[in-house]
Amino acid sequence: MAKIDEWLNNNTFHYGQFWDIKRLINTKEKRNIKVSLCIPTLNEELTIAKEVVLFKSELVDRYPLLDEIAVIDSGSTDRTLEVAESFGADVYLSSDILPHQGTRRGKGENLWKAIHQLSGDIIVYVDADIKNIHPRFVYGLVAPLIYRPEIHYVKAFYDRTLADETGIRPSGGGRVTEILVRPLFSLFFPELAALIQPLSGEYAVRRHVLERIPFPIGYGVETSHLIDVYSEWGLEAFGQTDLDRRVHRHQPTRELGKMSFGILHAFLTRLRSRGITGEMPPLTPILRQFQVNEGKYEQVVYELPEEERPPMIDIPEYRERFGANDN
Amino acid sequence: MTHPTLATQDSGRWVHDLPVSLGDYREMLLANLIMIGEIPAPAFDEAARIEFVKQRFTECGLQKVSSDSAGNGLAVLPGQNGGRSILLTAHTDTPFPDTVAHTLTVSSDRVTGPGVADNSLGLAALTTLPTILEGLGLGFTHDLVFMADTRSLGKGNLEGLRSFLTRADIPILAGLTIEGVQLGRLDYISLATLGGEIACVTDTTNGTANADTIAALNQIITRLRNIPMPGEPLTRLVLGSIAGGTSYKSPAHSATLRFQLRGESDTVVDGIAEEILTICEEVATDLELGVNFDVIARTRAGGLSPGHPLVQNALAVQESLGINTLAPAHSSAASVFLEGGLPSLTVGVSRGENRGGVNEYVDIKPTLKGLAQVIGILRAIDGGCCGED
Repeated sequence: MAKIDEWLNNNTFHYGQFWDIKRLINTKEKRNIKVSLCIPTLNEELTIAKEVVLFKSELVDRYPLLDEIAVIDSGSTDRTLEVAESFGADVYLSSDILPHQGTRRGKGENLWKAIHQLSGDIIVYVDADIKNIHPRFVYGLVAPLIYRPEIHYVKAFYDRTLADETGIRPSGGGRVTEILVRPLFSLFFPELAALIQPLSGEYAVRRHVLERIPFPIGYGVETSHLIDVYSEWGLEAFGQTDLDRRVHRHQPTRELGKMSFGILHAFLTRLRSRGITGEMPPLTPILRQFQVNEGKYEQVVYELPEEERPPMIDIPEYRERFGANDN
Repeated sequence: MTHPTLATQDSGRWVHDLPVSLGDYREMLLANLIMIGEIPAPAFDEAARIEFVKQRFTECGLQKVSSDSAGNGLAVLPGQNGGRSILLTAHTDTPFPDTVAHTLTVSSDRVTGPGVADNSLGLAALTTLPTILEGLGLGFTHDLVFMADTRSLGKGNLEGLRSFLTRADIPILAGLTIEGVQLGRLDYISLATLGGEIACVTDTTNGTANADTIAALNQIITRLRNIPMPGEPLTRLVLGSIAGGTSYKSPAHSATLRFQLRGESDTVVDGIAEEILTICEEVATDLELGVNFDVIARTRAGGLSPGHPLVQNALAVQESLGINTLAPAHSSAASVFLEGGLPSLTVGVSRGENRGGVNEYVDIKPTLKGLAQVIGILRAIDGGCCGED
């Protein structure tokens, strides 16, 4: 696993390395790179204003790192879009983008449609529920792509624990990462286990990569990205940046079950398509959980269709808009 | 040079229209507010917040960006003629320790979080102003000194501002202090105030060890409330906070009262402070425990008259902007300027409530008028309403 050590040394960053934003912007301009920010939303009225204000003021007006800020919404019933627009974001309803392709419900759908709607050479995705939002959430992810042309996909990770007296600290992800995703990666794609937080919702990616990978519409989108990008471009295409600390909503265990279900769907589908496993029965979209209601046990059934959107490069409207060819 | 007053029609119209021009800076002010407000800055521990403000001062091209011995963050916007400087201040500290989560939330019309009104918004306004002045192409005759001052609250007792005015070799023409709230305040007088702390502690030196410090503090409070407070000159005693003990079942080994005595006369306040000291000594002797009386903050009475040209010009600015001027309140900062013989005003940038709580908030909409007001008053001072060099 010397390759993992080498990759950790060369492709793991701390946002503090990129404090000189003027230099970053100079390099961006020299290389003629456009950067778009996509914030996928669903009922984020309470947190969206802060993100838009901060990113627009700091990374559009003061330091022009971002060429556009777009909120792509799944159909919020609160004032998410109105608030975001009032502070200067471009706002879109996911269902209005590529209307001929229909509408699916899920975060992955918004991320996929953003590729068509946004114009940047780099798209950086940032979740809308981050309470301690800061410009580092964008420049820390974009900078490795601007400085290092061989890197295509940069993931965020967050330090969660303080060093103990030995100076060694476990650096890891959340519950789903450590119980499900990292063990699966260790078994089937060991090099991907080096990504400290594979499920983080913050990442920056080059357009030419995004347009060539499929998008599960639900919880499996991050996992599938990692496997697909790894399979095509290798571990060297990845970078990861320590953004220090992320304060967000805590997910109840039942929600983590749904997340794990979506991830397993995406994972098993890829094992099968790569011939890593033999024949498997069709994967059901039904997740069963259980609860006690007035002393009786009963099942709670969720239908979680893990449909996947095809690579955007296969969509005619996209090819027309961006003049894409088969190369 | 004439002394243009903003009460003149042209100046009044210019100020009236200014908030529209400031619309482009709203997000910058809010972004600075968020980033400043999320850096904890309890009094005596403001260094991280000061560093951020100094970085901003550097980014917008101010000169002499530095810290002084009190830790104040300083920078200068040079004027055309130099001479005496106008000091623009906002205190950096908040009443919240760094153990409180300093996470601000932003809605379409307000920003909420600990310290956002007192005084993260005031400091954000100070930090944003240099960029606004440059963007509007506004030049000044006098140097503008921007100061994020430290150790203002509680035991800080305005130490940062006091230290700067005592030690700085920069001649100052006048001071303008920016607070987050309330828009419409125009504070130009200083009351005589005394912030005090009375601590009752178990005295183990004589072996009797009377541990009932809460009862002792109760006795002291009863006697404090019996001190006659004169109505003329107006004097008040505010009992602000008490703390003591560790458990419901054990006598408290310590109990503390914090209070403020405020009035229009230094002599009266000093006299009452003597009475309080006597009460403490008597209770200590009677109950055989330790009673310590510490003065943690003190300001002197004085200030400008309502007819002072600075006050009149500031009133004209507020009127031009349609700001309802609030009844004048006392400003502790004015007391420190007064010690240096300097005229000063304190103004607020916006409206807000819940000061001192984690749900403290400020309204976004009034901030543009609040900023316009600061610029209008700065121009009045620069134009000569406080006299010349």
